[in-house]
Amino acid sequence: MRYVPVIGLEIHAEMLTNSKVFCGCANEFGGAQNDRVCPRCSGMPGTLPVVNQGAVMLAARAGFALECTVNNYSAFDRKNYFYPDLPKAYQITQFQYPICTNGHIRVCDTDIRINRIHIEEDAGKLVHDDYEGISMADYNRCGVPLIEIVTEPDFRTVEQVQRFVEEIALRLKYAGVCDSRMEQGSLRVDVNISIMPEGSSEFGTRAEIKNLNSVKAIGRAIEYEISRQSEILDKGGTVVQETRRFNDNHGDTKALRSKEEAHDYRYFPEPDIPPVYISDEELDEIRRSMPEMPNMRFKRYTEEYSLPAEDAGLIIANKAFSDFYDAAVKIYPSYKQVSNLMLVELNRCLNDSGLSAEDLKFSPENLAALVKMSDDGVISKNAAKDILRTMFESGKDPETIAKEQNLIMSNDTGELEAIVDKVIAENQDSVESYKSGNQKVFGFLMGQVIRFAGKGANPKLAKDILMKKIND
Amino acid sequence: MAIKELHKKLAAHEISAAELCKSYLEKIKASDPEINSYITVCYDGAVKQAEEAQKRIDSGCDDILCGIPLSIKDNICTKGVKTTCASKILEDFVPVYDATVMEKLNAAGAVMLGKTNMDEFAMGGSSQTSYFGGVHNPFDTTRVTGGSSGGACASVAAGFCAAALGSDTGGSVRQPAAFCGVTGLKPTYGAVSRYGLIAFASGLDQIGVVGDCAEDCALVLDVIHGKDPSDGTSSYLAKGNYTSRIGESLKGRKIGLPKEFFGEGISSEVRESVMNAANFYKDSGCELIEVSMPSLKYAVSAYYLISSAEAASNLSRFDGIKYGYRTKDADSYNELIKKTRSEGFGDEVKRRILLGNYALCSGYYDAYYNNASRIRKKIIGEYADIFDKCDVILTPTAPTTAYKIGQQENDPVKMYLADICTVTVNIAGLPAISTPCGYGSDNMPIGMSLVGRAFDEAQIVSLCDAYEKSFERREVKR
Repeated sequence: MRYVPVIGLEIHAEMLTNSKVFCGCANEFGGAQNDRVCPRCSGMPGTLPVVNQGAVMLAARAGFALECTVNNYSAFDRKNYFYPDLPKAYQITQFQYPICTNGHIRVCDTDIRINRIHIEEDAGKLVHDDYEGISMADYNRCGVPLIEIVTEPDFRTVEQVQRFVEEIALRLKYAGVCDSRMEQGSLRVDVNISIMPEGSSEFGTRAEIKNLNSVKAIGRAIEYEISRQSEILDKGGTVVQETRRFNDNHGDTKALRSKEEAHDYRYFPEPDIPPVYISDEELDEIRRSMPEMPNMRFKRYTEEYSLPAEDAGLIIANKAFSDFYDAAVKIYPSYKQVSNLMLVELNRCLNDSGLSAEDLKFSPENLAALVKMSDDGVISKNAAKDILRTMFESGKDPETIAKEQNLIMSNDTGELEAIVDKVIAENQDSVESYKSGNQKVFGFLMGQVIRFAGKGANPKLAKDILMKKIND
Repeated sequence: MAIKELHKKLAAHEISAAELCKSYLEKIKASDPEINSYITVCYDGAVKQAEEAQKRIDSGCDDILCGIPLSIKDNICTKGVKTTCASKILEDFVPVYDATVMEKLNAAGAVMLGKTNMDEFAMGGSSQTSYFGGVHNPFDTTRVTGGSSGGACASVAAGFCAAALGSDTGGSVRQPAAFCGVTGLKPTYGAVSRYGLIAFASGLDQIGVVGDCAEDCALVLDVIHGKDPSDGTSSYLAKGNYTSRIGESLKGRKIGLPKEFFGEGISSEVRESVMNAANFYKDSGCELIEVSMPSLKYAVSAYYLISSAEAASNLSRFDGIKYGYRTKDADSYNELIKKTRSEGFGDEVKRRILLGNYALCSGYYDAYYNNASRIRKKIIGEYADIFDKCDVILTPTAPTTAYKIGQQENDPVKMYLADICTVTVNIAGLPAISTPCGYGSDNMPIGMSLVGRAFDEAQIVSLCDAYEKSFERREVKR
């Protein structure tokens, strides 16, 4: 039988605050174990959580970025369970009153509804030493601020899921909420998936696959689950509701725990933290401070700037790169030329050097000036590429480089005419050959002219003069 | 001796802070074995603190608590000094930080004599559930002190300190103060930072003061109150100056007497003593108004559901992984926490953890926790109605006087019901003060409570002070 998958996501994103969500410890990645731990985040008796307002602010920004309603009132709850990486034996989260609700994102021409975004704290990590036969707890990650984004089960294809995750990752980056480094675990995805016979509208029993950390792994895990569940149903079996773990090496999923073994989290309102109120004025202020989201940029680039969809997609994929483009075309609106130079030549420089768009030594003004020089015929298109490379390396402005490298095109007709006369005089055979119909010889003659005139020669002007004189 | 008197003597150099401190320490050493009010006595640390305080006094410091020896309940974290919550599970726990109240007391130059005994994790009304043995009432050592701040109240009653910090979740400062014949002040929720108070029920817990008189309690509260950035539930509305209304005329103040607090279950001698006090206020020009709190009959149930639910969660962190007691042998993580907690907690604590988790389980949450929260809202509303008509409310502090050790502990429900007079104050987050207003036929003290509007501690302190000046207290005979 053919089946349709029904998929919903829970995405955890680490927020880019300076400090942890309920204490003053630094919110960073890496470092020595238990290096960023204090009485609060290690759950010492008597300590109390105090909400980092920066985390609330970023969660609100996530809400606006993902087209949610950001609520004036939200509150924290406790989720109770024992685990050695959870020092308080409860996680502070938002259960009843999440900060954001009712969002939606369009991908692959499908509306994906976001049920909620809530703030919560991350847990620590366990380090197992198989040699010594012991496990140790590293609490550095305890209290790192997270948002959890919960979608409705609106996905029906792997493609939709992957595009959605990419879109979320990009929007959170644009909003400054999360660096979206899936490989470092700053963005992690849980996939809830069930299948139903094609044509049916009744959802099957779902499995939850935990902690997928790449778009590729998400795709592979879903494909595996679809075939696993299909096989069970085809054989007349029933899918069990359970939590599964994806093994990247084997490309399969293994059961972690069944519904019966699932925790009863005994949620209740967190009495140590007063509810969060954000006034309409504060919300307006946050909304006004939001940058343009990548989907709106894409629309602007393709519709207003007439860029090809592929080019627009490549530019918006990196916010700093896209910001640079926007700043340059604002000064000199030669949309396609700026785009071409950035996507080909600048990207080549970035790739070769391993640098990113944030690290550029030259300004958008410099780039705008360079493209204008090229468009105005002050320099040739090839010269523009060379100049860009020098700008990238030295940070010098394009005018200076063009002068230093003698790349300003000469528009001195008299000088060019003299050169053309000389070339014609010295290559009478070729001239005759051209006149008798051998068009190819013209290229050779042009080459001779450029050879004498140098790189700074205006190729178009040279061509016109040669054409005129040769036909006289 | 009142704090003001001690302060005068210190300021006049009639006695040095170290001498004062040593006199208390000697008394503790000689007599506390009978009472068991302290778990830890800081023989060396206290003298050192007193010597430091003396230097400040010598250089002209006039802070009211400078050099004043206090006892601290053993659920308040003290850096470098064992803080056990009277539990085996924290038997050897030494905090790495000071509670905010300790920072404030240290800054004020107060001297900490030691850490006082209590019901394990402040759960109980008898101070008999301590891992370190029960506390004995200084008035009659065969009787309980009440609890959970039994050690704090006994230490004040027996003269083992000038004043004490306790904590009050459902009456834990006021009820033992009544049983021990001293004054106990439970401030408004949020008036004092809870940072460093090892949580029992976070939404109800409040650090309180026990003293010889209302003024002493107010003076200590003046030092420890205030908004604390480390406690999100602490409030800017706590303004201090709690002695400011002492001595004002009582004329025209309206005192509510909620009839439900004087009904069945309250012993006749308690009722009589409190009514005598009411008449004192009437004679002083106050207006007595009969008021009603219809939801009182649900209060104890609601209190035990909410407080146990929060306690179950708060006490989950004691798993033997990070600090405190850990079972000797366990083969897995699950076995480790199971054994650690089974061996580390006493029966009463286990009872509350079971009750609390039950109330929070999916399927039972609505019936228990949610209904309790609804009653909580109702009680808050009923208090608001009463305070539309009254400035303060007068009630008994406990239905009876202190009972004999061993008499009630085996009947938890009966123990819980004895909290009827005090729990609504915590449920509504209001301030209240208990002071002796008589003695029973058993010669044990009887307490009355004045309950005020939120952050109106100055009002109840002044009314309490006026009564105390007219009431002849019996001293502990030792």
